[in-house]
Amino acid sequence: MTKIHFVTDSASDLPDDVINRYNITVIPAFVNYGGQSYADDGKALDRVKYYHDLPGMTSHPTTAAMPPALAEEMIGKAFEGCDHLVIICTPPTLSGIYNSMRLGASGLPQDRVTQIDSTTLTMGMGYQVMFAAETAEQTNGDLKAVLDTIERVRRNQRVYAAPESMEFLRRSGRVSWAAAGAAALLQIKPVVLASEGKIESIARVRTFSKAIDKLVELAQEQVPLERLTIVHANNEAGAQEVKSKLGSAAPADTRIAMVTPTIGTHIGPGALGVTTLKQGWRTS
Amino acid sequence: MAAKGALTACDGHMMKRLAEAGLAWLHSNQEKVNQLNVFPVPDGDTGTNMTLTMQNAWDNIAQMDEPHVGKLTYALARGALMGARGNSGVILSQWWRGFAEALEGKSSFDAQLFSTACKSAVERAYQGVVSPVEGTILTVTRQAMEAVSEKADVETDLHTLFEIKVTAAYESLKHTPELLPMLKDAGVVDSGGQGWTFIIEGMLRMLRGEDIHFRSVQAVAVQQPGWQESLVPQDEEGYGYDVQFLMKGEGMNVEQVRADISAIGWSTLVVGDSTLIKVHVHVHDPGVPLSYAIGKGALLDDLVVENMQLQYQEYVKNRATREKQHMARVEGIAVVTTVTGDGFRQMFLNDLGAAYVIAGGQTMNPSTEDFITAIQTLPNTEIILLPNNPNILMAAQQAAALAEGKQVRVVPSRSIPQGISAMFEYANEKDSLELDELADNMKTALQNVTTGEVTTATRSVNLNGIKVREGEYIGLIDDKLAVAGDGLLNVTRALLDKTGADKRELITLYYGDIVTEVQAQELATALRGHYAGAEIQVVNGGQPLYPYVISIE
Repeated sequence: MTKIHFVTDSASDLPDDVINRYNITVIPAFVNYGGQSYADDGKALDRVKYYHDLPGMTSHPTTAAMPPALAEEMIGKAFEGCDHLVIICTPPTLSGIYNSMRLGASGLPQDRVTQIDSTTLTMGMGYQVMFAAETAEQTNGDLKAVLDTIERVRRNQRVYAAPESMEFLRRSGRVSWAAAGAAALLQIKPVVLASEGKIESIARVRTFSKAIDKLVELAQEQVPLERLTIVHANNEAGAQEVKSKLGSAAPADTRIAMVTPTIGTHIGPGALGVTTLKQGWRTS
Repeated sequence: MAAKGALTACDGHMMKRLAEAGLAWLHSNQEKVNQLNVFPVPDGDTGTNMTLTMQNAWDNIAQMDEPHVGKLTYALARGALMGARGNSGVILSQWWRGFAEALEGKSSFDAQLFSTACKSAVERAYQGVVSPVEGTILTVTRQAMEAVSEKADVETDLHTLFEIKVTAAYESLKHTPELLPMLKDAGVVDSGGQGWTFIIEGMLRMLRGEDIHFRSVQAVAVQQPGWQESLVPQDEEGYGYDVQFLMKGEGMNVEQVRADISAIGWSTLVVGDSTLIKVHVHVHDPGVPLSYAIGKGALLDDLVVENMQLQYQEYVKNRATREKQHMARVEGIAVVTTVTGDGFRQMFLNDLGAAYVIAGGQTMNPSTEDFITAIQTLPNTEIILLPNNPNILMAAQQAAALAEGKQVRVVPSRSIPQGISAMFEYANEKDSLELDELADNMKTALQNVTTGEVTTATRSVNLNGIKVREGEYIGLIDDKLAVAGDGLLNVTRALLDKTGADKRELITLYYGDIVTEVQAQELATALRGHYAGAEIQVVNGGQPLYPYVISIE
């Protein structure tokens, strides 16, 4: 039996019960504003208050990868008592997190560490960690089976999001979007897909309610769903609306969660996202 | 029975003179038709549209010397179909099409055949409209046709039948307000019906030998804008020279001059009388026609010689620049749309992904041919037409029906905001849907938006229970008069209130060319307090006549 330990970053939006159930190490990214740096560990930063204050902040907050030293310390601790470490994190194309993790793990025997680019964000990454951990438990630490699970989950998950306003997304500079000029002229709400390490605008609509309809439509294209997490940047009502519009397409255990401020800072308060995992992912 | 000197048969030559007279009389009365606008908005242009349609029909036969009435009328109808502008223009072109169809293969028509042709014309006109409405040009053409039909068995004189037809047309026209309450409210008769009546009245006046204020229709420029496009070099010598002059003299023979000039060059136009003849001809050696005229003993005047080879080269050189201003390269299904205003043009081309923008809108309705040119110019084989105006819709539909070798669909957008809404759908779905599905989805997207328009009233009227004084601001919601009053802010607010804007998400003020951005921003600021739930955005549309076009979403 091989004991595998899992490490991820706070942008995975994993629920506490999953983190505790599989003893997953979540290394926080950081949000900087007002001259302070806050770890996104659910303690240093009051998410509700943060999102509430965000539109009024005179200088726009920035997000930062964890320092390599913090990654090294936490990865080192995670490595104690396990045979193999699997690190699943935010894509290097979107953040320095991947590199901090790489540096943090560089002192460990490399044949006992596997670092994986999740290629996506929030629960698209979270599902990979969660089911990899489940597979590890069920197979007594079969690394090949774990990596196979990660691959399958990645293939069958989707992360779509809609910002309530373009402002934060534009400030973030993280959207590869040819029509950015159009947004300046005409009001445009994009619906974005996080995939293959990129955030892409896949639809443009005129109003946020049309964006919500589009999110629902995109989620419906993925049915039947094994998992659905509706994430929001302090917009619980909007998330509930998405859920009710999905009706029976939403699984009974659909989760509604506030998205991590490391993502929320870029997509802006009010934003909504759907993260789906298709049924049948284990065999396809 | 036909009286002495009666006209019992009409051949191609006579038909040409009738068409010319019809155009001339309509042209003379164009403004009267424009005034017959139901809405007190500054875009009454039925007269202009019908005249341009008729002008195009005439241009197509202007240089023909065709005794065969079937062939001549076919060309006339073809010109009308291609030049059709505005809904009345399209109906007029369909009327000519039906008229020509009945004359196919006939060298001339008599009273019986005239009656048959009028019947066929009316049938086509009705078929040209999806849901025919009585009290319009349709009713007038039909009742005039019925009057002719009643007498065609006994009356062989075409002159008399024209008298009957025109009398019946005016009688019918007088009753259009009873059939269409909208006309009654506005205190006008139907404009399209009036325009058509002027055409046949012009024909009658010509037969009577009355003045029809010929406004030099004969000398209509052979060179329409874009003439170079259709110009084919005659031979390896190239395009040659365009020569125009007046011959002054006495006892000149127009027919002889026409025949001689035709033998010298091509694209000839020779009109006039025994003392004054206008000559227009294309030749390789400008000296030849000039020497000919001098040799005939005429004095030359108004001499113009232009090198068409150089003009053509210049045209080709500038074409690429011009196209850049209204064309953009698009893969797959392409959209051809109609807008006025630089702001809208750039938005549709650069931001919304339209492939071809035809200039036109409220006051300038593009023709069927404009759409066909766009369709043929684009390399794309699947095309969607987005007219953005109810009065351009039929020309677009006619173009879709006439376009050959390409798949063309019409998404019936009635306003620019509707067009923008459809373009968002297009951008989102064009790569994943087939043409028909895409067009259907775009059509559905038209309903996402309410359109408001603010302008000033061109006359006083009492319409839809709304009292309008000339010069006041008026607001239209989805083409219908909704509010009137003093003060731009008041009228805009009243208009927005009527659309339920307080419960909508986004109000976009597209400001026109008579408004500055500062003024538009001031209006937006003043409105913001009243519609807290909605975002208010200001965008430069650049449209004429309408200070604001407003989309409410």
